[in-house]
Amino acid sequence: MKLRRGLLIIGLLTPGLGLILALIGTVVYIAVSQSFGYYSLNGTSEFSTEFWSKMAGRKAFKRSIQYSIYIGVFSAIFSVALAYPLAIWLRKPFAGSNFIGAVLKAPLLVHGLVAAFLFINVISYHGILNQFMQWLGIWSEPRRLQNDPNAYGVLILQTWKNMPFALLLLTGAVQSISDDVLDAARDLGAGTWDRFRRIIAPLTVSGMQAAMVIIFIGAVADFSFQVIAGPTNKQSLSQLMVSFKGRGDWHSAAVVGVSLMMIALVGSAILAVVARMVMRGRIK
Amino acid sequence: MVAIKIERLTKKFGDFTALSDVSLDVQPEEFVTLLGPSGCGKTTLLKLISGFLEPSEGRIQMGGTDVTHIPPEKRDTALCFQSYALFPHLTVRENLEFGPRQKKVPVSERKARIDDVSEKLDLTAQLEKLPNQLSGGQQQRVSLGRALAMRPSVILFDEPLSNLDAKLRDQVRIEIRRIQKEYGLTAIYVTHDQAEALAMSDRIVVLNDGRVEQVDSPELLYHAPKTKFVADFIGDANIFPGTIVGQKGDNIFQVETTIGTIEVETPTAPASKNVNLCWRPESAVIGNIGITAKVVHRAFQGHFTDLMVETNGTIFRVQAKRVEAQEGDDIQLSVSPNEVILLDQNA
Repeated sequence: MKLRRGLLIIGLLTPGLGLILALIGTVVYIAVSQSFGYYSLNGTSEFSTEFWSKMAGRKAFKRSIQYSIYIGVFSAIFSVALAYPLAIWLRKPFAGSNFIGAVLKAPLLVHGLVAAFLFINVISYHGILNQFMQWLGIWSEPRRLQNDPNAYGVLILQTWKNMPFALLLLTGAVQSISDDVLDAARDLGAGTWDRFRRIIAPLTVSGMQAAMVIIFIGAVADFSFQVIAGPTNKQSLSQLMVSFKGRGDWHSAAVVGVSLMMIALVGSAILAVVARMVMRGRIK
Repeated sequence: MVAIKIERLTKKFGDFTALSDVSLDVQPEEFVTLLGPSGCGKTTLLKLISGFLEPSEGRIQMGGTDVTHIPPEKRDTALCFQSYALFPHLTVRENLEFGPRQKKVPVSERKARIDDVSEKLDLTAQLEKLPNQLSGGQQQRVSLGRALAMRPSVILFDEPLSNLDAKLRDQVRIEIRRIQKEYGLTAIYVTHDQAEALAMSDRIVVLNDGRVEQVDSPELLYHAPKTKFVADFIGDANIFPGTIVGQKGDNIFQVETTIGTIEVETPTAPASKNVNLCWRPESAVIGNIGITAKVVHRAFQGHFTDLMVETNGTIFRVQAKRVEAQEGDDIQLSVSPNEVILLDQNA
């Protein structure tokens, strides 16, 4: 009976889970194997750590790792930080709240590439922002805002694109907190910030963790925003990987790819743990 | 000085008036219950006192200070919620400590308060548990303890017993009253359960349609209701419209009703000949004199028997300790004039 039940469960899960495992497993296997010299497309296939050791010595690789982590972490933090107050504001329905919620989620419908091009149009040398600032008299001449060295443009784009996703997750989590619990905190002397810190944040930490992790993984592997709006003196890991692939160096590209996966995995775990530690709001 | 002074309080939600022109003085250490049916405005009044709502008109003073526009976190009140509203991610100790921490009470004082409250409410063994590991009664006690740990001047209860079973409700009811007296707290208690209100309160405020119907002690509310609503809402009552047809002496008036002539004793002469009178079912004496009625329904309730009887097509209620009569039998009953209450015609 147990065996039949087990087989039934496996049978039911196979079409979905099996496909996912097969696809992910294949990709990970190929990437890891290639990074160690196997599956060579233009030479002999044999085990080698040469590609890893060479990559470890490259400054560009280290800079890419730092840069990608910077983009991933800050995009996740900014998106969640912006989504929280909006989620709390939209917690209780009011006239027009559905419309505001829909408008705030609109970036989910705009493709990243389109958003990046629109953003470039806004901040370009002769773009709307420059024209507006000059019209206000704040700037006397246009400024170069595009491809800024600190990647603020990329961070703005990442936050703009990912905030609605964080908002979706956090709205549900915030709405699940009962009015009485928040009123009780208020009655016991907690002001707005304390209610957030001690009650809302700890009770929505799971939603917040999910948002942070998913946004981090997406942002750390950013390619399109970086290529269009990113700084010209820095490369993201995805950009570096594509550049190796473009040169036909599949093994180095695989090393970067595997590194990216590891960073996404470890980074997500660290973010999730840190988020729980910071936000749990326990009184100790 | 009164603990709470409510002056001509009105609360409107758009076109709807939830509370209209309510005035009330609550004395220090008094236990006052706001009683009324659903939608009568009792919770609105409690929320105005706690600061979660601001009045449309009128003002509230606590200890002589106007708190009408002071937010709840800055008021010297603590509210016990119907749902308990415990913080699910915090242990019992942390729940109890939440308020004092917010008020920046020194650590030693905080500890003393938690020890005191947990001992008095028998929560010492539960301090490290999370709320979901506690029974309903224990959660209720934590909710009460959390409010008490604040050492508020005024403690507010929003139907705190409604989620408990009948036996536990009786137990916690006694506990709440004991704690209130022990800590010398002024308490405002909201309930729609008249038995709870009668058992616990020093005074009861009966609300109906956002207005105060009567404010009195439980005994006076029961034995001398002023309005038809109060008479009907507090306990069981037989209410009859009638016409004064005669007078016996200075204070006894004869009133003709649908069930016959009933004598009523009142210190002040009625302003009109048309009156409403009421009497409690247990005031009727079944015997050999008085009104003749047929028993249409009989229900044995343990310490009394509840009879629904009919006279001239009017059905009313009679309760007596020992009743031999069965359904279909005729009985004779009388009510002493001093047990019959003349209701306020203007109310």
